[in-house]
Amino acid sequence: MEANAGYARALSRAFGGALLFSFPLLMTMEMWSLGMAVERWRLLVFLLLTMPMLIGLSYYAGFEPTFRLKDEVLDALAAFGVGFLLAAVLLSIFGVLRRDEIFTQAGVGKIALCAAPAAVGALLAGKQLSEQGPGSREKERAGPLSELFLMAVGAAFLAFNVAPTEEMVLIAYQMGPWATLVLVVISILLLHVFVYQLGFPGETRRRQAGDFRRTFVAFTCPGYGVALLMSLYLLWTFGRTDGVAAHEIATMTVVLGFPAAIGAATARLVI
Amino acid sequence: MAQKPKTASRSPSARPTAAAKPAPAKQTPALEWASAVVGLVLAATAIGFTAWDALFGARGPPAIEVRLQQVTQTPHGYVAQVEAFNHGGEPAAQVQIEGVLVSGGSQQTSSFTIDYVAEGSKASGGLVFDRDPGVGQLKLRATGFADAS
Repeated sequence: MEANAGYARALSRAFGGALLFSFPLLMTMEMWSLGMAVERWRLLVFLLLTMPMLIGLSYYAGFEPTFRLKDEVLDALAAFGVGFLLAAVLLSIFGVLRRDEIFTQAGVGKIALCAAPAAVGALLAGKQLSEQGPGSREKERAGPLSELFLMAVGAAFLAFNVAPTEEMVLIAYQMGPWATLVLVVISILLLHVFVYQLGFPGETRRRQAGDFRRTFVAFTCPGYGVALLMSLYLLWTFGRTDGVAAHEIATMTVVLGFPAAIGAATARLVI
Repeated sequence: MAQKPKTASRSPSARPTAAAKPAPAKQTPALEWASAVVGLVLAATAIGFTAWDALFGARGPPAIEVRLQQVTQTPHGYVAQVEAFNHGGEPAAQVQIEGVLVSGGSQQTSSFTIDYVAEGSKASGGLVFDRDPGVGQLKLRATGFADAS
């Protein structure tokens, strides 16, 4: 019984976190139209990638202090359920989902697209809002690969908040090649400074191994690479790259790579 | 009373290496199973729905049928409420709906634009005429659209 009560509290926290992290997207018009307009194969790939991402994230920041695969899977599924239900309820209240629409592909698309960020929020909330402070267990495990994974999740998560909007495309159209290069440099610098110089909480244990050059090559560059990859993936998912010239795709990726880089850099703060 | 579950829920986290020990207290609560099952069902629904649509969904461009729902006489003209249904395999954006009313030798055209009509879904709007569409002949159709993505 006690375990159930504890889990119920964790579940309520999860709903709170899902709400906190996903309401900007739930209240964004492009998310509704993309939910029905996104090509089905891309939505399928997105949904299929969400699950392993949630399981991995649960390993680092689940809303139950767990260590076994079974529990990570359970947590990830519960988080997805929380995200899905929250998105469905709120979208219905907002009048985005009409009653006859819920079980059409358009309705499912809208909910599913919003459910993913909400699920991430649900998982993170377990740690962020939990009674115990930031756990130390997950940091001890962070090797280079898991560091990259967390960066990727952080990048995807922050970029996802703006990726669906028209503004990404518009900014890319407005920017010239020089401005793009400047943005690349700024993104990389910010990434490096945020992660390795500013002394944010959560980075204490980060390997400040060796000199500037080593950290830069070994961590900042892969981090920016991951951020760009995530940007490109999101743009592709949302159909922003279809029929667009290569240099415009590159500019768009850099534009979205800016929030993605910040997300990658601050992943440690949040996750 | 209130203290008790708190300490109980905290104890596993206080020992991060609990998994290494037999840990008899660590038992998956029923509620955890239940919520995971709910999540699994929802995830399976979303993925299954999308996969089914990707594999067997309708193909082809948007094909939009416009149907007359109801005509209401108002002080500001006759309002013909119409519904657009997309029978095609792709969603359509900025769908232009046009109605041409021919009655008593004269002709009146009225139109509006719908933001999105997803495939297999409907959207609705209204056309306004000076004369009663019930009397004359009303031709409804979608005159054009943009690709949704």
